[in-house]
Order: sequence, then structure tokens, then C-alpha cells
Amino acid sequence: MMSNSMMTMASGGGGGSGGRGSVGGGRSWPSTTSVSASGKRIQKEMSELSIDPPPDCSAGPKGDNLYHWVATIFGPPGTPYEGGIFFLDITFPSDYPFKPPKVVFKTRIYHCNVDSDGNVSLDILKDGWSPALTISKVLLALRSIFTNPAPYKPLVPGIAHLYLADRVKHDELAAEWTLRFAR
Amino acid sequence: MFRSNNVTARLFERQISTPAPGTSVHCARRFYENIVPSHTIYDIKCPDLLFRKFTDDGQYLITFSRNHQDLIVYRPTWLSFSCEVEDCYAHDLPNKANKFESYFTQLYSVTLASSGELICKDFFLYIEGKQFGIFATSTAQIRDASAVGAIQGVPSIEKITFHLLSLEDGVILDERVFRNDYVNLAHSMGVFLYDDLLAIVSLRYQRIHILQIRDSGNLVDVRAIGKFCREDDELFLNYSAQVSTNHVENGLQHTEHIRESSFLSGLKQRLLSFIFRGIWNEEDDPNLRMQCLKKKFYFHFQDYVDLIIWKVQFLDRHHLLIKFGSVDGGVARNADNHPAFFAVYNMESAEIIAFYQNSAEELYSLFELFCDHFHSSSKSSSLYTNFISTHSNNIHALEQLRGNKNKASSFPQFVKKVLVNLPFNCQSQSPSPYFDQSLFRYDEKLISATDRHRQSADHPIKFISRRQQNILKFKIKPGPEAGSSDCRTKKFCSFLFHPILPLAISIQQTLFLQPAVVNIHFRR
Repeated sequence: MMSNSMMTMASGGGGGSGGRGSVGGGRSWPSTTSVSASGKRIQKEMSELSIDPPPDCSAGPKGDNLYHWVATIFGPPGTPYEGGIFFLDITFPSDYPFKPPKVVFKTRIYHCNVDSDGNVSLDILKDGWSPALTISKVLLALRSIFTNPAPYKPLVPGIAHLYLADRVKHDELAAEWTLRFAR
Repeated sequence: MFRSNNVTARLFERQISTPAPGTSVHCARRFYENIVPSHTIYDIKCPDLLFRKFTDDGQYLITFSRNHQDLIVYRPTWLSFSCEVEDCYAHDLPNKANKFESYFTQLYSVTLASSGELICKDFFLYIEGKQFGIFATSTAQIRDASAVGAIQGVPSIEKITFHLLSLEDGVILDERVFRNDYVNLAHSMGVFLYDDLLAIVSLRYQRIHILQIRDSGNLVDVRAIGKFCREDDELFLNYSAQVSTNHVENGLQHTEHIRESSFLSGLKQRLLSFIFRGIWNEEDDPNLRMQCLKKKFYFHFQDYVDLIIWKVQFLDRHHLLIKFGSVDGGVARNADNHPAFFAVYNMESAEIIAFYQNSAEELYSLFELFCDHFHSSSKSSSLYTNFISTHSNNIHALEQLRGNKNKASSFPQFVKKVLVNLPFNCQSQSPSPYFDQSLFRYDEKLISATDRHRQSADHPIKFISRRQQNILKFKIKPGPEAGSSDCRTKKFCSFLFHPILPLAISIQQTLFLQPAVVNIHFRR
């Protein structure tokens, strides 16, 4: 079952040596020397995350691919997302932390900042990104969009309008989505 | 207590004594020790048919024509003849005893297959109360066919048709067609019937279609589990997209909700959140919990996402036992070595109730103790099916299982081997009393209640009394009376036992398309 883990490692490991390793044919590169700056940085963030995880959030690498993570966020209590469990894909670029990670929802969510493909619009994942930010900060920011959507910077204008015009209806729909698609 | 085995003495005993409460059926079944299909008519004159089975109420014998086009249904009757001389038992049976038609009356023949389709000869399900039968016809399968939304590596069948027939008169009541899909029809593996509910597993599109068989003879879609869990999820998704777009002028950008998306399917979301919750609740300390999740959940996340539905059975009207595995194992004939998982899913509340790996000791112990709960095909199924021997209702079967358990060199391997049987195939076991292990002992390698072709040996199969050790009650010998002259060709046998009467058919075939040797076994 785990046979494909090594394969994904090679294809996802954009951190320097991963791509070139396959050119050499039979020769495999020892992983200790191939950990690049981005890899080291991700490993460091991973241990920080383990020591002090943000509330109701968790994340970890898929298989042994450091650059491809999955995060899980519990729908925060008091929001229409309460009771839901949301899975997100996090992909780190090879030049991390100079470029932001890419985050996609794998669980359907009714939210004005998440489009129908699961893409999230979050300022710190675009222009607001700074290399000083970490995965823990990203998780906290993601969690905050559950409690405070940003209807004036929407990805889905329809949901944003409903949020502003008829909050009760919006929350009803979002809660129904949570019940149907995020349990 | 002394018990005579003489049938007259037993009848007398039945007159004068009342069996212990709740055992009257068991006591009555002991008469089967006296009434056995011990007489064999070898190589009977028989139309060239593919024999499927007796229905579980014994009303019908289901057969198909050799060209896989027609369904031919017979009513089992008993050989009857008159005899002029006084002691007719001493005489040979009349000539007509060698004819198939003397035992079975043809009720009708219906053409099921049309336009390139053939009847799937391994597939038949019976709805007893209504005397409905479900049959399948299909076109040939294509190996490498890809399509949007289809699982890679699963073959495709251009057209699969399920036919619902009234067996009383052979009228086709309804049909359901699956196109460019793959349903495992062999031994009815991909289909399970419970009461009036039918679960059909589309391997290719990873859906469990739940259909209801109405009294009127219609097949009605209840729900499809897979991409979505509830029957109106897709409708709801469209509806809420509309509500949102109504709030935007010329808002056309958000209407294409339902195309293929990268979201987890409804069932996968349920499964992953169930596994996640389980690990989350195991550990209270945040640091340790994070370590646990990393190792047990995130590391395997993609493997869980890649799991496909292999097989499904009903546990009751609301609960499904679903087996998940890798794509390779779903199509392979021998999937024993592939890792597999079992989930119990409540389709009303759309919740996963339990999740086990196929080496889980907990699931094994549930199976050992409560095997009958896995076997229940429905409440309304025939009384006879309650007497199919399992290790939860039969001490001898249990002893055998425990014996195998103690003999096994590795317990986890043994658990896997036993759990391969789950989920059960629907209606795959004969309720014949001659397979009741509290009455008879027989070599399960050669014959058993499970409907399977077996490699045939030339010597007869012995049925030995369970209560009087070493007393041979009867023998079943497939193939020609004198044995076959050619020992090298492999021969295969199948056995059809009537659920009530001391009547059985054995069919012996060689791999080459020679005509089968059909023997009839009955009580003379």
C-alpha cells in the first residue's frame, strides 16, 4: 500500500535535487544530503507545529513527501461550520518560504472566500505573504475565515451578497452544507 | 437417552412425545437422516442446459440455454410411475426414469439477452415472498477504457442490464441498464438483496446504487452512495448555487458547481473524518496527539483517499458493510493478498459507524461470535435459510473454525483469511438439510452449501451421519457411473440441492466443450 510513497517523494520534492535525481537513472540520492533550504525550513515548522499546535487545527505531510501536506480544521463552535471537519491540501513551492504555500479545500464549504474548486482567497497566501510567516500562522488565518468571512473581498460574489443581505439565510445554507458535506 | 434410528420408531416417538420448546423444527429435520438422496440416475437424458440453482423455496429450477440467450424455468416434480407387479421395489425403475423431463416440468422459456448481450450464468437472485427473480445480461468487457469520472484500471462493460421477472409466469416486469460501467456479476458479488432493497456496486464509478423492488414489480432508485451520501445532495448543491446567484446581477460565474471537482467524495469525507476523529479522541495531550495524527493519519492520507469500494452487503435495512481496497484488488480474482478495510455505514444518517483493517482482531471476534448477523439476508427470507450451518449456530462448524484457529501459524494471517469471506455473497448458500452439519458430516473440500464449481474427484462423496459416527448415510457421485476413462483432463463439478426434497442434480464438466454429464440423485 505504501509502495507509491517513494514515487511521490521524487516527483514532489522540488527542493533542488529531487528533479535531477531521476536523470541519473539507477542511482538514488541519499535523502540526508538532498534536503534543501526549503526542506529544512518545512521540517523546522513541522516540529514547531507539533510543540504548539493552533487550537482545533492539525496538519502533517502526506506520506513521506515534505512538500505536500494535509491540514484538518474543525468548524469553530458558534459558526455555521460547527460540527464539520474540513480537509485542506497544502502544497509548498520549492522556493518556500519566499513564495507562499498553495491551499485548496478538499471538503466542500459554503463560504464567500472559497470558490467552487476549493481555492481560498486569503491575503497572506498572495500579496500579503512574508517569509516570516509559518504554517501555524497560515492555519490560524484559515481558521479565522470560518469565524470572520471577508465579504468585501469575495471569491464567490453570490455568497458574499447573501452574507451581507440576509445573514440568517446565509448561515442556514452554510450549516446545511456543513451537515451534508463536511461531517 | 436412547433414540432409535428406525424411521417407524421415530414416527411413533414423534406421536407420543413433545420435543423441548423451540426445538420442534430441529427434531423434525432429523428425519432427513432417514430420507436421503441415495439413489443415482447416471448420465440422464437431458436438454443441453446451464443449470443455475433451485430457488430457496424449492418452487423453481432456474436454467439457461447453452447459448446464453434464454431463461428456462422448471418446476421440480417427483418421478411417478405405476407398476403392475406386486413387489415393485424389487423391480428396476422404468425407462422414463432416465429422462430429465420425468423430474422437472418446463414452465416457460423467455429470451432475456438481446443485441450483443449474453446472460450472466452465475447471476441470479430470488425475492421469495413475491416470487420475483433478478437476472443479468451484459456485453463483453473492454479492458482499457477511460472516461471522465471513471476509476483508472477498472474494465468497462458497454451495457449491463438487470431484469426483474415474475417467476410465476415468466413476465419481464422491469429492467435497469448500466452503460459503460462495471458491476462484478460473477457469483452475484457486486449485487446484494435484502428484503426489497437491492444494492448494486458500480466499481467503475464508485457508487452504491440502492434500488427498491416494489410490489408492483418496479425497480425504483432510492439513492446512490459515493460521490454524494444523501439522495438530494446534488439537488441541494444546485439549489444553493441558484440562491447565491440570485443575489448577483448577471452572476453567471457560479453555476457550474456540479462538474468533476477535486473534492473528496461524500463517502470518503465521511470515512476520513471518522478515522480522524478516532485518532484525535485517542490522545488528550496536544503534542502526542499531533505525533499520532502525523503517523497514523496524514502519512496514510493519500492511501485512504485512493481506496475504492470493492464489495457491499446489507447488515440490516439501514446498515451496509462496505469493503474498501486498492484498485488492483477490486478486479483481481484473488484479492487475498491486497490490504483491505471494512466500514459499517448507516445510509439513513449517512454516517460511518465502524472502520476496521482486514487484520483487525476485534472484527474477527465479532465475526466468530455473531456470524449469523453478517449472514442475515433478510427477515422475510425462507425458514430453511435459518438452518444454513454457520459457526454461530452450529457447534461442529464452530469446532472446525476454532481448530483452524489453533492450527494457524500466525493469528493475523488467519484473521485475514477468515475475513476474506466478508462481505458475504448474496444467496450463495444452499439451505438443503443435507448440508446441515448437525445432521451430516462431509468433506468440505469436495462439496459444501456454498455454490461453487469444484474440481471433481472420481470417487463418490460420502455423507456420514453426525450423531452415529462412522455410519455412511449416502453417497453422491458426479460423472459417469463407471468413472471416466481419461484421468488427465480436469473435471469440474457443480451440485444443485433442492432445499426441501431429497433431490439433487450433479453436473460434471471437462474444460473442453464436451457435453456435461448430469446425474440425478434422489430417494427411490
